[in-house]
Amino acid sequence: MTIRNTTLRWGSVAQTLHWLIVTLLIVQVVLASLADDLPLGMKKLAMLARHKSVGITILGLAVLRLLWRWLNPTPELPDTLKPYERVLANLTHAALYLLLFAMPLSGWVMSSARGFPVSWFGFIQLPDLVPKNKPLYDAMLETHETLAWTLGAVVFLHVAAALKHHFMLKDNVLRRMLPFTKTR
Amino acid sequence: MTPMTDRSGTGLHAVLVTAFLSTTAFAADPGVTHYSVDPAKSSLEFSFVQAGAQNKGKFTKFPVALDISPDGGAATRLDVTVDMTTYDSGDKDRDDTLRGPDLFSVAKFPQAHFTATQITKTATGFDAVGKLTIRGVSRDQHVPFTFRAANEQGHAVGYLTGKTTLHRLDFGVGQGEWKSTEWVGNDVTVSYNVRLVPAAP
Repeated sequence: MTIRNTTLRWGSVAQTLHWLIVTLLIVQVVLASLADDLPLGMKKLAMLARHKSVGITILGLAVLRLLWRWLNPTPELPDTLKPYERVLANLTHAALYLLLFAMPLSGWVMSSARGFPVSWFGFIQLPDLVPKNKPLYDAMLETHETLAWTLGAVVFLHVAAALKHHFMLKDNVLRRMLPFTKTR
Repeated sequence: MTPMTDRSGTGLHAVLVTAFLSTTAFAADPGVTHYSVDPAKSSLEFSFVQAGAQNKGKFTKFPVALDISPDGGAATRLDVTVDMTTYDSGDKDRDDTLRGPDLFSVAKFPQAHFTATQITKTATGFDAVGKLTIRGVSRDQHVPFTFRAANEQGHAVGYLTGKTTLHRLDFGVGQGEWKSTEWVGNDVTVSYNVRLVPAAP
C-alpha cells in the first residue's frame, strides 16, 4: 500500500483518516447517549466536554481528509456501475463529507448559543461562534440531532453498498479501503 | 463642600479648622462622601474554568456602600452584600444547579457579604482587606479597586472598578461531586464595575 492514493486503491493516509473517523464517530455516539441519560452534573459535564473535544477532532480530520482528497487521485468507481448507481454513490459520499462538517459545526454553534464554550481537551478554548441565544440553542439542538440521524442513515447506505460490492459483486470497492489486503 | 475649600480665613483659622476636622472626621464625617450603588449601570461578574473553557456568570443585585474622602485620597468603608438568588449565567439549568444545595445553597445562604476592615492606598487605587462571607464561611479577602469621581450633568458620581480572585472551595462552594476541580476549576475571578451615586450615610 502506498502513502498516496492511486486510481485503483486508497493510500495509507486516506485509509487512516477514514478508519480513524469511523472510530471517533462510534465514540461520539457512545458519549452522546451516555450524556443524554445523565442529569445536569459533573458526570454530564465531563461526557459533554469529551464529546465536544472529539467532535472538534473530527472536524479537523475532515478538513485534512478533503485536502488530501484534492491533492490525490481518487480511486475510480468500477465500470460495472450503472449511471444511476454512479450518481447515488457520489451523492452518498458528498453527503458523508458534508455531514462530517455539519455535525461538529452545529454542535459548536449549539454550545456557543447556550453559553457553554468549547474547549479542545482543555488545551485550547475555541471562540464562541455566536453570542448567547436560547432560541438558537433550541434550534441547533434539533438540527444536531436530525443531522446525527441523517448521518446514521447515510452511513447505513454506505456500509450496505460496501458489503454488496464485496460479497455480491465481488469487486475491490471495499478491499481497496482495507489495510493488509490485496486488491484482486 | 468642606470648609477646607474656604481660603478667605486667616492662616491660624485654617490650621484650627484642619485640626478640628482631623480629630472629628470619623464622628461627624464632614470630609467623607457616602456612595451607594447605581444598580442599572453596575455589574458584578465572575468567571471560572469549566472543562477547559472560561464560563461566565453575574449577579444583578448587590448593594454597595463606599465612604471616601472628597479628594478620593482615603477610603474608609467598603461594604458589599450580594443577593445570591440573583445569580444569572444565561442558562436556567446551570443557574438552578449553581443555586442548589451543593454549590451556592441560596435557600440557606441567600447573601454573600464583604466588609473591609482596612483600606490602604496603592499605586493604582486601593486595596480593601476584610472578611468575605459566602455560604456561611468567612475568609480574609483582598478586594483591590480603583475609584474615579466624575461629574455628570451636575451630579457627583463615582466609578469603582477592579477584579480579584478567590477559591470557591475555601467557602465550601462545591460539595459532593463538585468538590472535584477536574472539570470545574477552584479559581474564580470576580470583576466589578460599579457606578456609585451619593447616598445618605
